[in-house]
Amino acid sequence: MVTYIVALVLGVGFGFSLNKVGLTKYHKVANQFRFTDMTVLKFMMTAICVAMTGLYIFRGLGWITFPTVPATYIVGNLLGGLIFGVGMALTGY
Amino acid sequence: MKLIMNYMRKDTWSPYVAGILLGVIGLLAVLLANALLGASGAFESFVGWVGKNLNLSIFNNTYWGTALGRAMPIMRPEITWSVILLVGTIFGGTIGALTSHTFKFRWNDDAQWKRIFGPQPWKRFVIGFFGAALLEYAAGIAGGCTSGLAISGGMTFTPAAFLFIGGMFVSGIITLLIVYGRRY
Repeated sequence: MVTYIVALVLGVGFGFSLNKVGLTKYHKVANQFRFTDMTVLKFMMTAICVAMTGLYIFRGLGWITFPTVPATYIVGNLLGGLIFGVGMALTGY
Repeated sequence: MKLIMNYMRKDTWSPYVAGILLGVIGLLAVLLANALLGASGAFESFVGWVGKNLNLSIFNNTYWGTALGRAMPIMRPEITWSVILLVGTIFGGTIGALTSHTFKFRWNDDAQWKRIFGPQPWKRFVIGFFGAALLEYAAGIAGGCTSGLAISGGMTFTPAAFLFIGGMFVSGIITLLIVYGRRY
């Protein structure tokens, strides 16, 4: 039960940050692929850097163990990414 | 305090500030629930859960079920942690729009979209529907979407995340070059 409340609260924060950075808008996502608006990369890479630093510090301190990370299968990941890009560029989702 | 409240009401935040917020949320997810953020998997789990409850035999495949002697389904057909997260995400987006007074029901009002594809709402529905189906299908192949694979995979240094981001940019740029033509 507690983990579900955690999920709900973190979800609210997740949606809030996506809305505030403007990724709910088509032009923000599409213009990233034209390199006229770098919001997506700035946002994503900042999030990755912050979380990555924290995760490795916490793991070093022994507070956490990593959950199951997404599996790497080169052809699938690449092919999925290639199809995903088409959908993303068309819809802006 | 007033400064923070005023910033909460702003429509568009600096991507760095919002990025730090998302990074902290991703960190808290691992710390408090030992889970990673994601979005696309939640849709699949939810649809699988609906299908299982309706007892549709088509759902008893290797993806949602244990056909062909699999020990575990690829995507658990249950109300998983991610499904709850997704519900929260919808609320979060709404709260974000409410605080900046931009909450509004829209059919098609993105100026750039209208310039490229035309102003008719049905075009937005059709392209949106098939584009989103393509996104979900691709996320199924790759093992995650922008949040579940690129961000969550990125923060745990998974090679898959960076392969996915690379593929996404290559095809995204090519698609827009074709659609936009001279307007790129």
